[in-house]
Amino acid sequence: MNMYRHEVRSLVKSTAIWIAGLAALAALYFAVYPGMMKDAENFRKLLEGYSPAVRAVLGIHLDFLTTLVGFYSMAFPFVSLCGAIQAANLGLSALSRESRERTADFLLVKPVSRSAIVSAKLLAALTAILATNAAYDAFTFFMANLVKTQDFDRKIFLMINLSLLFIQLIFFAVGMVVSVFFQRMKNVLPLSLGMVFGLYAVGALLAQKSDDPARYLSPFRYFDFIWIIRNGTYETSYLITGAVVAAVSIAASYLVYNRKDIHAVP
Amino acid sequence: MSVIELKNLTKQYGKSRGIRNVNLNVEEGEIFGFIGPNGAGKSTTIRTLLGLIRPTGGSAAVFGKSCIEHPEVRKEVGYLPSEVFYYDGMRVTDLLKYSASFYKKDCTKRIAELAERMDLDLNKKIADLSFGNRKKVGIVQGLLHEPKLIILDEPTSGLDPLMQQKFFELIAEENRKGATVFFSSHILSEVQKMCGRVAFIKEGKIIKLEKMSDLQANSYKRISLEAESAVPEEVFRIDGVSDLHTKGNTVSFMFRGNLNTVLRKIASVSLRNISITEPDLEEIFLHYYTKEG
Repeated sequence: MNMYRHEVRSLVKSTAIWIAGLAALAALYFAVYPGMMKDAENFRKLLEGYSPAVRAVLGIHLDFLTTLVGFYSMAFPFVSLCGAIQAANLGLSALSRESRERTADFLLVKPVSRSAIVSAKLLAALTAILATNAAYDAFTFFMANLVKTQDFDRKIFLMINLSLLFIQLIFFAVGMVVSVFFQRMKNVLPLSLGMVFGLYAVGALLAQKSDDPARYLSPFRYFDFIWIIRNGTYETSYLITGAVVAAVSIAASYLVYNRKDIHAVP
Repeated sequence: MSVIELKNLTKQYGKSRGIRNVNLNVEEGEIFGFIGPNGAGKSTTIRTLLGLIRPTGGSAAVFGKSCIEHPEVRKEVGYLPSEVFYYDGMRVTDLLKYSASFYKKDCTKRIAELAERMDLDLNKKIADLSFGNRKKVGIVQGLLHEPKLIILDEPTSGLDPLMQQKFFELIAEENRKGATVFFSSHILSEVQKMCGRVAFIKEGKIIKLEKMSDLQANSYKRISLEAESAVPEEVFRIDGVSDLHTKGNTVSFMFRGNLNTVLRKIASVSLRNISITEPDLEEIFLHYYTKEG
């Protein structure tokens, strides 16, 4: 419990900043929405001028453009991109913190097992992720109700929002397992940006069609918002893949961290 | 049961680094010196003992248990690393409280007491502390739970002489109260003052284990003298002298043994100048222990 409290305390500030950032991004989109509704027809025509491939990469679907949920689903990849960076940061930094701040000789000689340390850090990071999602969800529901011109499908809206949580969980877990293989990680951000943008690019460029197996390579593509809007469900196979990736990563993190040699600071 | 028990402890990594077949027992109440030049394997041994590093062979036990399989035995261990780093954003008092929270006992009084003795400001931020002050935090942090085993890895680096003395007093006090002390250093005289027994480690192997009383019968000196006239080399060909160089009127050598014997020899020479210094550990090793090892 003491370790969990300590870790949570150290995450409060950055989590607050991320929440503010994500909320600002969402606020921007919702602010644009009423204006877009007014010129819906013109806007549609403008976008029709783009080739279908470009529209696919940008996530533009003409049929849904003017509904609130459809509009939101197009804005959402940018939100999930930011959320993925936050989560990758959390994952990469949690277990590498002791080596970065050279505090391993403090924490790792305490009368606690390595597994207990991993658990405390894991729970603290999950707390940060859940807090981010709760705040983000509350804020976006509030904004959506503020700008809506007609009623929108709350369930679909929530499902889109929840994909942020799932994407974050995957990136967090992958970040964590990557970090345990580093003897000493000096900087987290370049690695997390590389990981997130790399996987985003893979998803956007390799897997353009919705039935392309290359979609499995990028967690961003596990959630096809058009599919979600049309069917009102997630795609089970991708959901399972995400869960497996996260579970395996976490399990491997425990295993490797438990056996890791902690060398003296150079 | 020994407080520390190393059996054929081996840790190999890289080509030549690491330790090989280290055997060592430290008994309760002892102050045990662990001495060797930098890079000899002192830290590797200590880190393996603490469970920070996994051995590739043999075993290391504290109070009869391995720190890896039984992390809870570390409750009785206080550790002061050679270089101290803590979470920069925290205040000293918060860090010490966090540290105390792992031991499930109230350490408030003890923290105040130790901080007072080490002259440490508890309200400062750790990031604002000098190296010496951070070391003091390390000392308080290592002793606040009144451990039964105190492990010190090059503890005096960064402490000024006055603090070193206070620190040694503190350690001696803990020892009188029953704590066992395991103390690594590369400075022989430092260990000589405190320890009952001492083990020498070189290139990852224990090359000698001695009682301090035996060691103290031998003091190690580097002696250089300049005589009025040329000194025949035979004068100083006595037991305990090594690395003997004579050049005209000057003589220099290393000496180990009873100082009175060598002083009598020196007195027989008409001197112009003399210097008697403490040789560093590397020299001692070079001239006395390499062959025996």
